[in-house]
Amino acid sequence: MYLLRLALASLGNRRFTAWLTVFAIALSVCLLLAVERVRTEARASFANTISGTDLIVGARSGSVNLLLYSVFRIGNATNNIRWDSFEHFAEHRQIKWAIPISLGDSHRGYRVMGTSPAYFEHYRYARTQALQLSSGRAFADDPFEVVLGAEVAQALNYRLDQELVLAHGVATISLVKHDDKPFKVVGILARTGTPVDRTLHISLAGMEALHVDWQNGMPARGAAKVSVEQARAMDLQPKQITAVMLGLNSKIATFSLQREINEFRGEPLLAILPGVALQELWSLMGTAEKALFVVSLFVVLTGLIGMLTAILTSLNERRREMAILRSVGARPWHIASLLIVEAFALALAGVLLGVLLLYLGIAGAQAYVQANYGLYLPLSLPTRYEWTLLGAILSAALLMGCVPAWRAYRQSLADGLSIRL
Amino acid sequence: MRLTMHRSLLTTLLLTLALPLAAAEVRELTWSEMVPADAPPQVTEPTPMHDLSQLADALAESAPAATQQSPAAPVVPALDGQPVKLPGYIVPLDVSEEGRVTEFLLVPYFGACIHVPPPPSNQIVHVTTELGVLMDALYQPFWIEGPLKVEQSSSELAEAGYQMAAEKIYAYELPDS
Repeated sequence: MYLLRLALASLGNRRFTAWLTVFAIALSVCLLLAVERVRTEARASFANTISGTDLIVGARSGSVNLLLYSVFRIGNATNNIRWDSFEHFAEHRQIKWAIPISLGDSHRGYRVMGTSPAYFEHYRYARTQALQLSSGRAFADDPFEVVLGAEVAQALNYRLDQELVLAHGVATISLVKHDDKPFKVVGILARTGTPVDRTLHISLAGMEALHVDWQNGMPARGAAKVSVEQARAMDLQPKQITAVMLGLNSKIATFSLQREINEFRGEPLLAILPGVALQELWSLMGTAEKALFVVSLFVVLTGLIGMLTAILTSLNERRREMAILRSVGARPWHIASLLIVEAFALALAGVLLGVLLLYLGIAGAQAYVQANYGLYLPLSLPTRYEWTLLGAILSAALLMGCVPAWRAYRQSLADGLSIRL
Repeated sequence: MRLTMHRSLLTTLLLTLALPLAAAEVRELTWSEMVPADAPPQVTEPTPMHDLSQLADALAESAPAATQQSPAAPVVPALDGQPVKLPGYIVPLDVSEEGRVTEFLLVPYFGACIHVPPPPSNQIVHVTTELGVLMDALYQPFWIEGPLKVEQSSSELAEAGYQMAAEKIYAYELPDS
């Protein structure tokens, strides 16, 4: 106990260097934990976003590409698929349900998705949880109704029955808007922690109505314009959609149906198993994750070596301190343990400060990260893996403390007393 | 002499103990055992790959969709309820938050080989597991152990096939090496 007090008193005497060392360790620990947390949360949110969908069908591109744009709203579709292809497979005897998806428009940076009521019924996330409406209802027959994701409603402060204008294209600031056809908010979904939160859902008819008077890639002018009332009266059957989510009657049939869709003669289609595409995505991300992890490990190592340097350089200045301790009866192992305790105390303070920094950082950046990257960072207790990392850092510090301890142990009693200053 | 007698006694004892255990032990299944012995060999007519006379047909969008190779392959009902272990590769269906695969299809070969049709339904096991398998480890084969459930194709909609609630999943290692 007196050893600990002595070590702390000695550190207090050199508090400026000690604080700097602690701060260096804290920053490195914070970085390591932050990288770890972002990595696990990114994986968890990817894994949570889709569940229970057996196949995703889209225009022929890559499986990761199709997964990203259809489910995570990242990137864009290469092509649309025809409505009759959707009908062909929706009526297939192996298919239990089919959700059509139509993408391409946005509202202030949030993607707009055209879909059918089947989406609210069959879409599942986070291991078989269904979508819930926190207020209002799903869109019905009127094409100009929109259901907001939780975050869209919160960030843009929208309420039920409010009217909003959708924009053409997916840029945050859009120059071309569908301002002649405003949509009315009829429902707001409960928070899911998935890209659904950042999506505006409209019916396929609504998507069709938006573009019904577009000609040659630009909005109609003058007399060619179609008003809201005229659009309502028109036949708004979509001719093409972007992707389809399929649920099968029997999972055993997944492969044969996938093959059948990929060999569909009507038009080139691609069917993917979400789980397999996710696995491909992760093996892609895995390399980057490992690189980040190794970098942050090296930063921690640098922090610890900084501590070692600080202690080692202080040894020389403290020869007198050691000598006095020895002369009043301290044994060599007392001196050695004093230095180990000092190293451990520095590392412990660094780790604690690092964890504190991490939580402050998460608390501060949570809303921003969620809004901009769709990543929810929870303020949860460290996981078992994080505890292991922290434990490993502390043991590394203990091990490093042995180096100055060994040197001090070897110095003779007379060393510090006969010093010539 | 005494020692050898002791040893043989011990061996007998061990054997008698082990015998009932061996009977209750899980059966090691091979994929070919999952096809009924009396199933007709699948003779598929070799489709002419380069028959130019059908090229127009193949290119025309009105041509019929490619036929499904084996809509409902026959299963072995005797395997129902039997505790078995089976080696195979994991095709993930559902992934938990921690990145563990909790529902997957077990197939006899890795990757989607697009040169031949996918495995027939009696060469696929639909497995659910509480614990899950780490997704990073899926490039290697696994042993799956548990009671096999055989679903007969009773209706139009339900596909015949094998299902299992896995009790144990562990990495497959080559017998020697």
